[in-house]
Amino acid sequence: MTNTKIKFENVEFTYIPPSGRPVRALERLSLDVAENEFVSIVGPSGCGKSTLLYLLGGFLPLEHGEITVDGRKVSKPGPDRGIVFQHFALFPWKTVRQNVLYGLERKKMDAAQRDELAQKYIDLVKLTGFEDSWPAQLSGGMKQRVAIARTLVTDPDVLLMDEPFGALDAQTRGILQEELLAIWGLTRKTVLFVTHDVHEAVLLSDRVIVMSARPGRIKSTVNIDLPRPRNSEVTRSQNFASYCDEIWGLVREEALVASGIKT
Amino acid sequence: MVAQRKILNILMGAILPLAVIVLWEVATRERLVSPFLLPPFSRVMVRLWQDIVSGEIFSLAGQTFLRLAISYSVAVVVGVTLGIMMARVRFVRWVLDPVISIGLPTPKIAFLPIFILWFGVFDTPKIVMAIVACIFPLIAGTWSGTQGVDKYLVWSAQNLGATRRELLLHVIFPAALPQILTAMQVALPIAFIVVIVTEMLSGGSGLGGSMIEGARLADTARVFENLIVIGLMGFAFLRALQILRRRILAWHPEVLQEKN
Repeated sequence: MTNTKIKFENVEFTYIPPSGRPVRALERLSLDVAENEFVSIVGPSGCGKSTLLYLLGGFLPLEHGEITVDGRKVSKPGPDRGIVFQHFALFPWKTVRQNVLYGLERKKMDAAQRDELAQKYIDLVKLTGFEDSWPAQLSGGMKQRVAIARTLVTDPDVLLMDEPFGALDAQTRGILQEELLAIWGLTRKTVLFVTHDVHEAVLLSDRVIVMSARPGRIKSTVNIDLPRPRNSEVTRSQNFASYCDEIWGLVREEALVASGIKT
Repeated sequence: MVAQRKILNILMGAILPLAVIVLWEVATRERLVSPFLLPPFSRVMVRLWQDIVSGEIFSLAGQTFLRLAISYSVAVVVGVTLGIMMARVRFVRWVLDPVISIGLPTPKIAFLPIFILWFGVFDTPKIVMAIVACIFPLIAGTWSGTQGVDKYLVWSAQNLGATRRELLLHVIFPAALPQILTAMQVALPIAFIVVIVTEMLSGGSGLGGSMIEGARLADTARVFENLIVIGLMGFAFLRALQILRRRILAWHPEVLQEKN
C-alpha cells in the first residue's frame, strides 16, 4: 500500500438513543485508506457504516480510538473532509449557484474567481442552465448533483459519501454512478463510499470493505482488480459478476445475523 | 381563463358583504331597525367622508397605528431573539420555559389594571400591554421553528466551514423562517386587538377611544365609522404580512407550488 491517507485505529462508538438502551455501533474497528484510493463500505442495515463516516466527518464525538487524516487527528467538522449525504441536505433557501458558492465564501479569493469556480463545477455535474433554480424545483438526481458540486468545489482532501445514490430511482442511480466514475477519474480524490448496493460498490471501488452485523467490525476486505477507467461496460464481465457474488455472499451472512435468523 | 376565474372569485367573495350592506341600508331606511341603534350605511359613509376631508380619522387611526407599530415591532424583535436564544442557550431555556408555559395560555389583558398603575394612562401602558400580549406566540413559534432544524443541514454547513455564528445566521434562522412568519401572522391580530381594547378601557383617543366616546355620546354613526376603519386596517396589515411572507419564502415549496 502507498501513502496512508485515512487511518481508523480501534474506533469504538456507542449510540445512546433518547430512550431505551445504548446501542454498541462500532467495536474496535481499524482501517487504512491509501491516498487516491476509492474504498466502499458495505454491510447489513444498522452495522454502523454511516456512523463510521460521521465519525470521520467529525460530526459525532469519538469516545475511543483514533481517526487521522494525513496524520492529523480528527476532532471537528471541516472542509478538508467533504461529505455528501443520502438526502442531499441542500440549503433550500439558496439557489443552485448560492449552494455551490457557500463553501467558497470562506476561502480567500475574489468574487469573480469564486463565480468562475462555481460555474465550472455546476457545468461538471451537468446543471448548466439551472444556476438560479431553487432546490425544491429540482428532481432528486439533480439535487444530488448540486450536493456533489457543492462539496467538490471546495477541493476537499478526502470525499465521504453516505449512500449518495440510495434515494434515487434505478436509472438515475446508474447515470450518476457513471458520472461519479468520470469525475473521480479527473480529480482522483480519496473516497470513502458507504452503500447498501453491492453492484455499485464493485463498479466504483478499488477495495470493498464488508462489515459485520452490529456491533460493526470489519468482516473482510475484497480488492477489486478491474481495469480503469471504468464505465457500465465493465459490469458485463465475468470478473465483475464473481466479485458481486463473493461480496453478496459475505453481506448476506451478516444480514441474516442482523435479522436474527442466524447467530 | 385564469384571469376570468380570478375575477369570478373576487365577484363571488363580494356577494356576501354587498348583500349585508344592501340589507343594512334597506332595513334602516324602512325603519325596521331604529337608526339610533343602527344608522344607515350611507350615513356612516358620509360621516367617514367628512372625517377624511377634515383629517380627523387619520389622526385617530394614526394614533392607533403608531401604538400598534411600536408594540408589534418591539415584540417581533425581542420575541424572535428570545426564541432563538431559547433554542441555542440552555440557560435561557431553563429560565424561560416555565414562564412561556404559564404565560402563553394566560389572558394577558388581565394585567392591564396593574400596567395602568405602573405606567400611567397614556401611551406606555397600552404599548407594554400589547407587547406582553403578543410576544408569547412569537417566542414559542420561533423556539419550535429553530428546534426542528434538520441535523444534516447543520452538518452540511459545518462541513463547509461554517462557524457557530454563521450556523445560526445561515442555517438555523432561515430554516425557522416559515414558523417565525406564521408566529408573526398570529401575533399581529393579537397586538391590534389589545391596542384597541386598551384604548377603550383607558381612553387616550385612538380608534378604540373614539368608539367608546361615540357610544357614550349616543353617536352610533361614529362607532360604526371607526369599526369599518378598524376592519380595513386589520385586513391591510394581514395582507401586507402575507405579501412579505411570499417574498421572503420565495424558495419554499408552499410559494413555488402556488405559482404553478
